[in-house]
Amino acid sequence: MVKQNKLIKEFYELKVSQLMDKRVWDLPLIEEKEDIHHVLSILGARNHIWVVKDMDRKELVGVITEHDVLSILAPKHFPSYVFGMPDIRSIQHGTANTAGDVMANKIIMCDPDEKIIDALMRMVKFKLRRLPVVKDKIIVGELTLHQLIRKYYSATQYHPILEDEEG
Amino acid sequence: MIYTDEFFNVLFLIAIALIFARVLGYLFHKLKQPAVIGEIIAGIILSGLSIFIFSNQNFIIFNYTISTPDLGELFQSSEFVLFAEIGILFLLFISGLETSISKLKKTEKASFYVAIGGVIFPLVLGFLSGILLNFSVIESVVIGLILTATSVGVTVRTLMDLNVLNTDIGATILGGAVFDDIIGIILLAFVMGIGSLMDAVWIGIKIAIFFILFLYIGLKIIDKVLSIGEKLLLPKSFLSITLAILILYSFFAYEAGISGIIGAFVAGILIGQNVRSTKIIEDVKAIGYGFFIPIFFVYVGSSLFIDKGFEISSFDTTILFIILIVSMSIVGKIVGCGMGARLSGMNNKEALQVGVGMIPRMELALIIATAAISHGILTGIVAHTILLTTIILTIVTSLLTPFLIKATFKNKN
Repeated sequence: MVKQNKLIKEFYELKVSQLMDKRVWDLPLIEEKEDIHHVLSILGARNHIWVVKDMDRKELVGVITEHDVLSILAPKHFPSYVFGMPDIRSIQHGTANTAGDVMANKIIMCDPDEKIIDALMRMVKFKLRRLPVVKDKIIVGELTLHQLIRKYYSATQYHPILEDEEG
Repeated sequence: MIYTDEFFNVLFLIAIALIFARVLGYLFHKLKQPAVIGEIIAGIILSGLSIFIFSNQNFIIFNYTISTPDLGELFQSSEFVLFAEIGILFLLFISGLETSISKLKKTEKASFYVAIGGVIFPLVLGFLSGILLNFSVIESVVIGLILTATSVGVTVRTLMDLNVLNTDIGATILGGAVFDDIIGIILLAFVMGIGSLMDAVWIGIKIAIFFILFLYIGLKIIDKVLSIGEKLLLPKSFLSITLAILILYSFFAYEAGISGIIGAFVAGILIGQNVRSTKIIEDVKAIGYGFFIPIFFVYVGSSLFIDKGFEISSFDTTILFIILIVSMSIVGKIVGCGMGARLSGMNNKEALQVGVGMIPRMELALIIATAAISHGILTGIVAHTILLTTIILTIVTSLLTPFLIKATFKNKN
């Protein structure tokens, strides 16, 4: 038990950059101006897409999840009790044409130098299963709950946590 | 002392008001009309029933005597009015939360022209109508102000039904409606504090200072403030901090002499830009939409019977005034927004479609009328007449606009 306790504390103190997926080329990325059908084709296989300004610089500007697509794919029922800017995005009405139209632009992210415990707390607070790792507005990796579970579990099985990175 | 008859009577009224508001709101929603109209009518019915049937009556059921409280008095009690006024703060706070500065920046030039034309023309026409019918200058300004802000809900639903929401016209109307709301709120703050020309200058300076201090600087530090709220690991403590910011902003705006509601709107914009707002927006809507905002609309409806009564002798003048104001509201938007649309390069038909789409008035018109009454700018029979006119204006423009939009789009391929 003491050993387990020590392990989890060490795990919390690790930096995000040590556990994140650094294979940016393998992340689901799309340009802001890309057509909505391209978004749908990616989300047919993935749960989310990170939206960047352009593929060369990879400046992160938004995220699209399955839930975002649900709201534009389903028939639009405009609520009769709404104030402020109405959300009119809909495939049916032709008001969701690009990735930029559909994305959520308020992104919960983490810094590569942050501790894992802070990233975990953020995931809990915002009920998220993944965070983009961003440095100077550029996406440099992704931290998913899957990865964290896998890394921690393998550490409990006497494998070094940072085995992948070192190897 | 919390256990007073008055306190529980107000709670009883709130319960009845919420039930009536939601049932009638739903019926209007089923009829494809704004739920808000149903809620206002709930207020009219409730206050009418309270005055003419139920007030201070004793009902004997078997051996029990049930005394109904004087609902007419309760509608005007400080406790009920307090809930209704908090409803206004929530309404503007939510409007601010839903207003995206980044989307506003992307809005086309056309929307801005349309908004400016759609504010100036109705404002001037409303003002001149007031002067023509012997209202004072400040009362006439309020009448003009009531006609400025568009409520876009009705238009959006109609444009969706016609499948033209994705056109330039749809985008221009949506952008224009957001802009004219903001202009309307700023003008309202201006009018609330105005007394003379010097006041006008001073209020203008105060509004500018308020925006610089509380919006610009607020945007710089809000992240730090909200992160402190986030660290208080108690249930919904982050929501508590958000509500505290809403109330403090309203308080400081009021203390600065520019009306508390502008503080609520600025607080909404400020928090809405922050990434953490995604955590609380649904909670704020639950409190606002579920409790305070319906009470505000019921209160608006109830004020019709309860204020200073109605003089039969002024019936003709009132009818004439209502017809004039409703006509000016329609003409003002069609001409003002239409001219704005023409200036931005649209043709005559498109300009007419934009103008017609901007006709509906709703929440901000009611807020302006109510705020002017509670600030003592409108009093007595004038307050009653203008409130009645505003309610009829919201109902007529909401019912009429879908037909007008469909007529202007009739020949669209």
